[in-house]
Amino acid sequence: MSKHPPKLARRIFEWFCGKAKVEDLLGDLDEWFYVHVQSKSLFRARVLYWKQIYLLMFSYAIKKRKRDAQLGQYSSSRFSFDMLHNYLKVAVRNLYQYKYFSIINAFGLAVGMTVSLLLISLVTFVRTYDDFHTHGDHIYTIVSERTEGVEESIWATAPFVLAEHLQEHPDVQEVVRIKASFREEIRHAQGTLSLRGYYVEANFLKVFTYEITQGNATQALTKPNSIILTESAAMKFFNSTEVLGKTLELEHGGLLEVAAVMKDHLINSHLKFDVLVSSATLPPVKASLTDQWTYYDFEYLYVLLEKNGSQAALQEYLDKIATETYAQLPIKVNFATKHIREIAMGPDYRMAIGPKWEASGMIVFTVVALLILLPACFNYTNISIARALKRAKEIGLRKTMGGQKNQIFFQFITETVVITLVSLAGAILIFFLIRPEFLNSLAASSSIDLSLTPRMLLYFILFALGTGLIAGIFPALYFGGLNPIEALKNKAHAASSGMRVRKVLTIFQFALSFGFILCLVVFSRQYQYSLNFDFGFDKENIVDVQLQGVKAELVKTEFSKLASVQSVAMSSELMGLSYSNTWVKNADKDSSEVNQLFVDRNYLSMFNLTLLAGKNFPEETWKRERFIIVNEEFLKHYKIETPVEAIGRTYLVEGNELEVVGVVKNFHFASLRYPIDKFFFRMNPEHFVFAHLKVNTRDAFAMFTEFENHWKILNPEQKLEADFFEEELSEGYSSYVVMIKIVGFLGLLAITISLLGMLGMVVYTSETKAKEVSIRKVMGASVYNLAFLLSKDYLKLMVWAILFAVPITTTIFYLLFPKIQYYSVSLTVWDVLLSAMVLLGLGIATITSQTYKTALTNPAETLKGE
Amino acid sequence: MNISSEKQKQIHSFSVNSSKRIFMKAYLGEFEELVLLTITTLGEEAYGVSIQQDIEARCKRSISIGALHSTITRLEEKGLLKSWLGGATQERGGRSKRYYEITPAGKKAVSESKSLRDELWNLSKVKLSIIK
Repeated sequence: MSKHPPKLARRIFEWFCGKAKVEDLLGDLDEWFYVHVQSKSLFRARVLYWKQIYLLMFSYAIKKRKRDAQLGQYSSSRFSFDMLHNYLKVAVRNLYQYKYFSIINAFGLAVGMTVSLLLISLVTFVRTYDDFHTHGDHIYTIVSERTEGVEESIWATAPFVLAEHLQEHPDVQEVVRIKASFREEIRHAQGTLSLRGYYVEANFLKVFTYEITQGNATQALTKPNSIILTESAAMKFFNSTEVLGKTLELEHGGLLEVAAVMKDHLINSHLKFDVLVSSATLPPVKASLTDQWTYYDFEYLYVLLEKNGSQAALQEYLDKIATETYAQLPIKVNFATKHIREIAMGPDYRMAIGPKWEASGMIVFTVVALLILLPACFNYTNISIARALKRAKEIGLRKTMGGQKNQIFFQFITETVVITLVSLAGAILIFFLIRPEFLNSLAASSSIDLSLTPRMLLYFILFALGTGLIAGIFPALYFGGLNPIEALKNKAHAASSGMRVRKVLTIFQFALSFGFILCLVVFSRQYQYSLNFDFGFDKENIVDVQLQGVKAELVKTEFSKLASVQSVAMSSELMGLSYSNTWVKNADKDSSEVNQLFVDRNYLSMFNLTLLAGKNFPEETWKRERFIIVNEEFLKHYKIETPVEAIGRTYLVEGNELEVVGVVKNFHFASLRYPIDKFFFRMNPEHFVFAHLKVNTRDAFAMFTEFENHWKILNPEQKLEADFFEEELSEGYSSYVVMIKIVGFLGLLAITISLLGMLGMVVYTSETKAKEVSIRKVMGASVYNLAFLLSKDYLKLMVWAILFAVPITTTIFYLLFPKIQYYSVSLTVWDVLLSAMVLLGLGIATITSQTYKTALTNPAETLKGE
Repeated sequence: MNISSEKQKQIHSFSVNSSKRIFMKAYLGEFEELVLLTITTLGEEAYGVSIQQDIEARCKRSISIGALHSTITRLEEKGLLKSWLGGATQERGGRSKRYYEITPAGKKAVSESKSLRDELWNLSKVKLSIIK
């Protein structure tokens, strides 16, 4: 038996290594074998050979050699800027050569990115909230988690008495107490102006950073009845910022002296005020300690910690205080600390001191942004993969010349990034166009500023790169994995397995568009419905005049003189738009909340409200409040069977015994968003804010001029504020107009994106099927037949989309719509049909524009090359 | 040595991953340092078998061929070693040997490692040397 190494082991090893070069290793193994054979038995040497083969097979050395062997001879994993240059050049050339597709792609992505840009700009701005305080890093606010019985809620407020305890904690440097209840009407040359602000102590300015331009701030916040005015408020009252020492006269009596003036605070702050009033102005606290711990509306605490103070230690301390304090009290409160920069973006608390970005709203916004963005990305993916044939040769060649999978991947990602950056420019342009409208539709538009900052631009670019990655990853993976031989033989067809996914995604896109169109149709109808709704009262030919402090009686006498005015009534609020409420106790001392409106005795007849029982308020000189007129819901609540039974019953309202004199038929005193609730009319001239004039005229302009002339007699300083009731009522539903605008805009984006995607696919099919179409045409097919042949797949997709969308959208509609408005329209077949027709119409127009063109081409043009 | 070694050196240098050499600071493990130093002691005769035999004899420990080649491959990736194929041989079925040589970066790595040890030896407050 000759002494040679085991052949089988070697063969297995060679097979395992494949193309990897292992000649040197086999040589080494042979050498080892001959070394071993000299000192050991042949069998033992062979066993050792097998063992070494086994060890090598699983070593990193073989793994690495196998990996290297896969690359071509000219392949290099080295990153080179020359290749990047080449990628960019090829990308630009490709974009330029296939202009049509580039435009479709870039436009689609630009449209898709706009909503996201709005979101990013908003979030970027909101994240700068309260970043201007010098000590900002160490300021915390205290929030309280209240448990009253079974009801739990988190409040942004915290009791002032807690401040004394906090001051004892070693980590606490300052405790700022803000009482945010300053809301006063200030007398002014032209009537009154309202002013809002905080009662604070001198340390407010030590903790928060605000710029005082004049006066002594410490003194201003220490002396009673002295204030710090912001410059804009100073301009409003005195038309100047040199206002030191001037006084403001409160409508309800009292004087405030301007002791300092400060620069207007930046809008990116959750603290918003016109004026800071010294806490010393407030009357001393007389409430019992229990009450102080229990009732603390409008009281806010801010803590400035020492530089090395720990939030955790403070929290522990707060927990201890809360446990000790509330052990004996009927309510339980836990305190928590919240960093000042977390307030604006943080969770929603009750009675938040300033504007707040509702987390839930942000989530909805994000979802909407993604619903618009992702279809756009998908279109890019879809069109790129479908057009693989055009690029297959290039990729085949690159791979043959040593291009590695990840390099091809990188090339296509680069290409996508180029196109997304182009789209970003377009998206920013659209962003500038829609920004004013967007700000208008936001409730708190005065506290945001969406100017383009460098930081925002940076986020935009990062976002565009991210979008490029999402849109480009699948084409890049696909092209990277292309087999060079098949690619060069032009066999690289878009993977048929992907067809189903693509169809599903296309259907999803159109379903989304359908949803938006349906929303638009229903919202428009809802708006019309609300305007023409029978509120249960008359709204025609009534002009509302704001009293603006003028005595109701005077207004009544003055306007009654006019020929165009038939009658005059007074009230406290505009019916159908707003109302107030109060607590009512009945004989059993059960109290419940009832909505109310203060009116005079002409009111019922002017608005044509029907009395079911009893009579109107009696005609007599008003001395004190004695009567109420209730509605049917009120009877239901107090379990009174018939209207007649209610007459004469008394209820305790705000300490007065009020007697029911009449019962009116239910009417919509509140917005249609809420169901009709228990309600009563009260009569108390002190609360009158509006005069209602029943008018009878064809010339509204002349009438209003006449009103103005008479108003000047009553109040020469203020302008007449009057409007038709019907118009004011319509304005109350203007939120629908905003909603219609938003939905319309989003719908426009969604439809544009899905139609662009479809257009891209149709153009591609028409191009690839050009030859087939020409041959059919030569054989006698009609233009109509051909157009139908090319279009039918896409029409089918749209019909599927609609069939898929109808049940989903209607379900969502039935779940959500009654929550938006209690009295709402119901979805009809016609709404669905109309939406479907609109979508199909747009789709057919898009498809046939391309297919018809292809079908019309002269077959000789296409076939002459064959 | 043989004639074609220069050319083969060039071709082989393709597979050296240079990007890693730029970004990674070479850190030497104990076994890596042992392999590197052994290769320098063998001079022009450093190939798989001789390296393994030398280490086993000097350290009186048996090492696995898989571990040795894994380490050599990683050292090559780090750019501390370079290699080339020698000519055909008689004694091992005509298969050529792959010779290894330390690179300047490899020299730097071992000397850094040595100076670190020397420093620690000098600073040591305990008498470390047991050789009288």
